[in-house]
Amino acid sequence: MLDSLSTSLKDALRKLAGKTVVDRAAVDELVKDLQRALLSADVNVKLVMELSKAIRTRSLEEPPQKAMSVREHVLRIVYQELVRLIWASTDVRLEPQVILMAGLQGSGKTTTTAKVARYFQKKGLKVGVICADTFRPGAYDQLVTLCEKINVPCFGNPQAKDALAITRQGLDSLRDLEVLIVDTQGRHALEAKLIQEIIELNQLTKATHRWLVIDAALGQQASEQARRFHEAIGIDGVIITKMDGTAKGGGALSAVAETKSGIVFIGQGETSEDLERFDPDGFISRLLGMGDLRALTERAEEAIRAGDMDATTLLKGKFTLRDMYRQLEALNKMGPLKQIMNMLPLGNMDLPEGVYDVTSTKMVRYRICMDSMTSAELDDPSLINSSRMQRIAHGAGASPDEVRELLKYYKLMQRTLKGLRGAGGKLNMQRLMRRFSGMQ
Amino acid sequence: MFGGLRDRLQAARARLSGSIQAAAAASPQGEPRATPPAPPSAPDPDVMVSAPAGATFVDKVRTFIIDRELIITEKELAEALEELEITLLESDVALPVTDAIIAHVKKDLVGKHRRIGQSVDSLVVSTLRSALLGVLGKGFDLTSYIRNHERPVKILFTGVNGTGKTTTVAKIGDFLKKQGFSVLIGAGDTYRAGAVEQIEVHAARIGIKIIQHQQGADPSAVLFDAVQYATSHKMDVILADTAGRFHTKANLMSQLGKIRRVMKPDLVVYVDEAVAGNDAVVRAAEFDRTVGADAVVLTKADMDSRGGAAISIAHTIGKPLMFLGTGQGYDDIIPFSPEAMVDELIGDA
Repeated sequence: MLDSLSTSLKDALRKLAGKTVVDRAAVDELVKDLQRALLSADVNVKLVMELSKAIRTRSLEEPPQKAMSVREHVLRIVYQELVRLIWASTDVRLEPQVILMAGLQGSGKTTTTAKVARYFQKKGLKVGVICADTFRPGAYDQLVTLCEKINVPCFGNPQAKDALAITRQGLDSLRDLEVLIVDTQGRHALEAKLIQEIIELNQLTKATHRWLVIDAALGQQASEQARRFHEAIGIDGVIITKMDGTAKGGGALSAVAETKSGIVFIGQGETSEDLERFDPDGFISRLLGMGDLRALTERAEEAIRAGDMDATTLLKGKFTLRDMYRQLEALNKMGPLKQIMNMLPLGNMDLPEGVYDVTSTKMVRYRICMDSMTSAELDDPSLINSSRMQRIAHGAGASPDEVRELLKYYKLMQRTLKGLRGAGGKLNMQRLMRRFSGMQ
Repeated sequence: MFGGLRDRLQAARARLSGSIQAAAAASPQGEPRATPPAPPSAPDPDVMVSAPAGATFVDKVRTFIIDRELIITEKELAEALEELEITLLESDVALPVTDAIIAHVKKDLVGKHRRIGQSVDSLVVSTLRSALLGVLGKGFDLTSYIRNHERPVKILFTGVNGTGKTTTVAKIGDFLKKQGFSVLIGAGDTYRAGAVEQIEVHAARIGIKIIQHQQGADPSAVLFDAVQYATSHKMDVILADTAGRFHTKANLMSQLGKIRRVMKPDLVVYVDEAVAGNDAVVRAAEFDRTVGADAVVLTKADMDSRGGAAISIAHTIGKPLMFLGTGQGYDDIIPFSPEAMVDELIGDA
């Protein structure tokens, strides 16, 4: 996800590790590395220059706070400046509203429309979708198919040519619903007619929100396109899509800075569930290798509401095999393991490539093994001796080695969760930084 | 199109020339005899800047007196090259590629003996031109490829989500049809909702036969059928659309590997967008590594893009660019020519 950017940033910061005095040369070097890291993440060149200038001046002029090493001092400034760059998170209110989706061709508006619909639906609101894309063949079919999967009404007409007329009819026919999302045709800032069309769509729908959908891979064009869209309809939120690739989303950050709005959601995956609320604190923490705890908690809460798991088990002290069983079930509901792991504060614990694919199938095997255990064993795994292990393996159609591996995994989880508990609650900058320095 | 890069490169070019001229003109100290019979067109040729590594003072004097040439030093170029670097970065040329181009220009200019009569401008232009042409390689002439190849020519389109594969397939289908080839489209995107409908409408509009299955079918099977159909009907070209996929998804990439094994394409065309930033390099390299790529199509070149992606991708995988997509109509596609693009970028001087 944001791996490469955070790796280069971490490299840059590591260079400051041994320094005891804030010296110009070291800061200059850090700023240069930071520039390169941000540039290769597609952040706008001018923005990068402003940012690096601010970091340089502040690092050299502000006195380091008490009991703070030079590195922590600079890290704090880098963090603050990055947060400033990303601006604030946009509020998503759970109330009746009309949302207009705008963006370039192929940025993922239609897929995102379905994801946003699903988001509000899960929050318990009545959602409807209007297909105002009358240009691209198959756009209506695509949206209808996606909406059917999540049981959301979709208004549109593949034969119609007039986006405004369709939208007017749609607003009328879906007026009983609380949240209306209008998917529009892809367009770019130089297409004057289409820009005029979206201005009119905006006036017609009196949209509460106008969200700009931006591909994470978009380069230096992002600022300019965002500026033009902003001038036309007043963008008040940005959604970054395709964050499951290797693109780092720097272009989207430039767009946010340009429109002075916030990042509302991050899309990372092809199903309607793969949408995450954006949290700048967590985002930066992840950028710096900290893990995004809050996003995990949000996800966990939703998955748990559907299930029977005590929300606090994950973060509570006693952790038995039984808890792990429930947890594996919950993880299944929460989505691909890789996304979860990315959100855990495992920092520099680099898991080898491909390990996730194996683990997802292993999870199933583990559950089958646990099905063969007695409840006493589930409550107290230390009971399991070699003869019990034989029995469990036999019952599950597995080898004793597999059971042994399961127990090993259980111990690893237990340790991980202990660490997770330590970092719980509101992310504490001081503590996170101390952890960060401790992790090297 | 690509106007931004052109303006900037021209500015950078002026800057480079300026810096060389200044270096040549602004250092009259230390060489009292330096009032040579220089041709009037040349700047005051004096080479007595503090000599860095490479060329010693004596060397310079000798070069100057005997050969009537100047030696360009690294120091003189530093500032201008930095500016060129920013220019390239702002134009979406990926960081590693920018580094490579800068290194190339530097290597070519530093230590170079410049004839007194030779204009600085032409020196810079030829250096930049050769650097960019070196990166862009040769174009790819699809028409003559098809003419010189056994029919049917099977072309497979790959790329990440939302780069415009389906639209590109339709445009190329239209382009080839107008050239008099018989074209068949294989609707290999069986995953994305609406994809089959999308390409079906395109095919109907441009009047091309299409082979399709249900959504969710095995794309290899669809494309195998397409190949069978085209062979038995003696058609010229098969254009095989596929679902967009990220290079990070191992399963989808191996699905693409299977498609490749089953339909045995003659050409694998990688489609990406001209507005993509640094990631263009990462994913192009990954696609090239896992399923291969013989040519590249860049879409959305009409979005005021600065053409950096073209340079990045070509440099990374060393494969020729075939077409540029420049709009939403079927005609909005132009065969790519590296010379024309470089001419457009740095102008002729």
